[in-house]
Amino acid sequence: MVFNTIPYYLFFLFPAAIAFRLASPNLRPWICSVFGCAFFVFFSSDRRGAFCLAIFIWEALFSRLYRKGSGLCWIGVLQSVVLLTIFKYRNFLTGLYFGPSDHNPWHWYGAFLPLGISFFTFEFIHYAVDRYLGRAEAGTPAEYMCFILFFPTMVAGPIKRYQDFLPKLRNPVLDSRTNWRLGCTRILSGLVKKFAIADLMTAFTDHLNRADIAVARRWVLPVWLLAYGVKIYFDFSGYSDIAIGSARLFGILVPENFNWPYFRTSIVTFWRCWHISLSAWLTDYVFIPLGGSRVSAGRVYLNLFVTMLVSGIWHGAGLNFLVWGGWHGALLVLHRMWTQWRGPARADRPFYRSALCCAGTFLWVNTGWAFFCMDLSTASVFFHRLFWGQT
Amino acid sequence: MLRLLNRIKATLEYLGGVTETPAVQSFGWLQGPIWWGVWWAALVLLILAFSGQASRFIYIDF
Repeated sequence: MVFNTIPYYLFFLFPAAIAFRLASPNLRPWICSVFGCAFFVFFSSDRRGAFCLAIFIWEALFSRLYRKGSGLCWIGVLQSVVLLTIFKYRNFLTGLYFGPSDHNPWHWYGAFLPLGISFFTFEFIHYAVDRYLGRAEAGTPAEYMCFILFFPTMVAGPIKRYQDFLPKLRNPVLDSRTNWRLGCTRILSGLVKKFAIADLMTAFTDHLNRADIAVARRWVLPVWLLAYGVKIYFDFSGYSDIAIGSARLFGILVPENFNWPYFRTSIVTFWRCWHISLSAWLTDYVFIPLGGSRVSAGRVYLNLFVTMLVSGIWHGAGLNFLVWGGWHGALLVLHRMWTQWRGPARADRPFYRSALCCAGTFLWVNTGWAFFCMDLSTASVFFHRLFWGQT
Repeated sequence: MLRLLNRIKATLEYLGGVTETPAVQSFGWLQGPIWWGVWWAALVLLILAFSGQASRFIYIDF
């Protein structure tokens, strides 16, 4: 639960932020690292998860070997991918081949996820790649440990970049009054988004199951799906607000993660404004290495589609997440084809046209949430009921 | 219409702690400590009013 618990604020955030502010610059990274270790152990839902603190210790040691152009950086990338695959995708991947768990000799019955693994492995990969390319300096061991153990963003982002984080760690904003005013306001706003809006939608989204969908009236189905779209936005943007506000108490500015995504007029601008840190990471470490936009049109379409498939599978170990990623990949490809045929949207277009584009983008995005929140068979039942009135 | 929407957006961002100063000049009085105390109290009341449900963030354990 983390951000909506009293211990987070009383035992971690406030003491760490105050200690950080009072400490000398040399001690500050160590303060973040120690509190980060304690945070990881305390909030790990599984006792075995607490032992996964060793992952951070190993990463902090191994990353000292990274040099520009060194193959060890790629070993670091491989380590992170293997970690993520074992913990998050082992049962899914082996299940694809062997079938249900009772027929699967590789099924891991005691599977658990180390806290924030999807996020911290992406930060590990970013650091390894950027060290290889010479885009990031090594920093001191304490500074890198502070980066990977910075607990406000450890659990669910925003995904940080070392070369952005390091200057802010070395020269944090020391105006405590402004830091605490903005930080606390941001945290309170995030909690209101979570409790007063996102959680209210649960009354609707709990009905997104096969049994309720099968007997519901058709007109209520899009209402439930819309409620999920509202819920996931306010839930995740609320979380990001709390993370960003928490970091602000240290005087450290971390990247913004949302910028009014549901008011965007195209799927491209939507993805520039939804989970911004993830989109940027996928662009830099998946899309561009695949060739980006500097290849033939057909190859660009493939790069976009594959990038969004990666996004989908990163969100969850399930075929429905793959379909969700493919849905957005297809939308991005179709948008690119459209703009190449008709040209980019004019900046001086009438307001009503922008409003229509905004409504259309919102409709496509919210339709896609059906694959995000339901497994494929339930989503199939949902769309059958919605469009044909049948189960 | 666009200008009105932008003013609402800027005001909400200021109230949410995203920006340091209000973008709209007529809201200069929103910078006083009493105002912030009232606003925080309102946010805390909202949180307390709706916090009875046990829930987790969707993106945790991703």
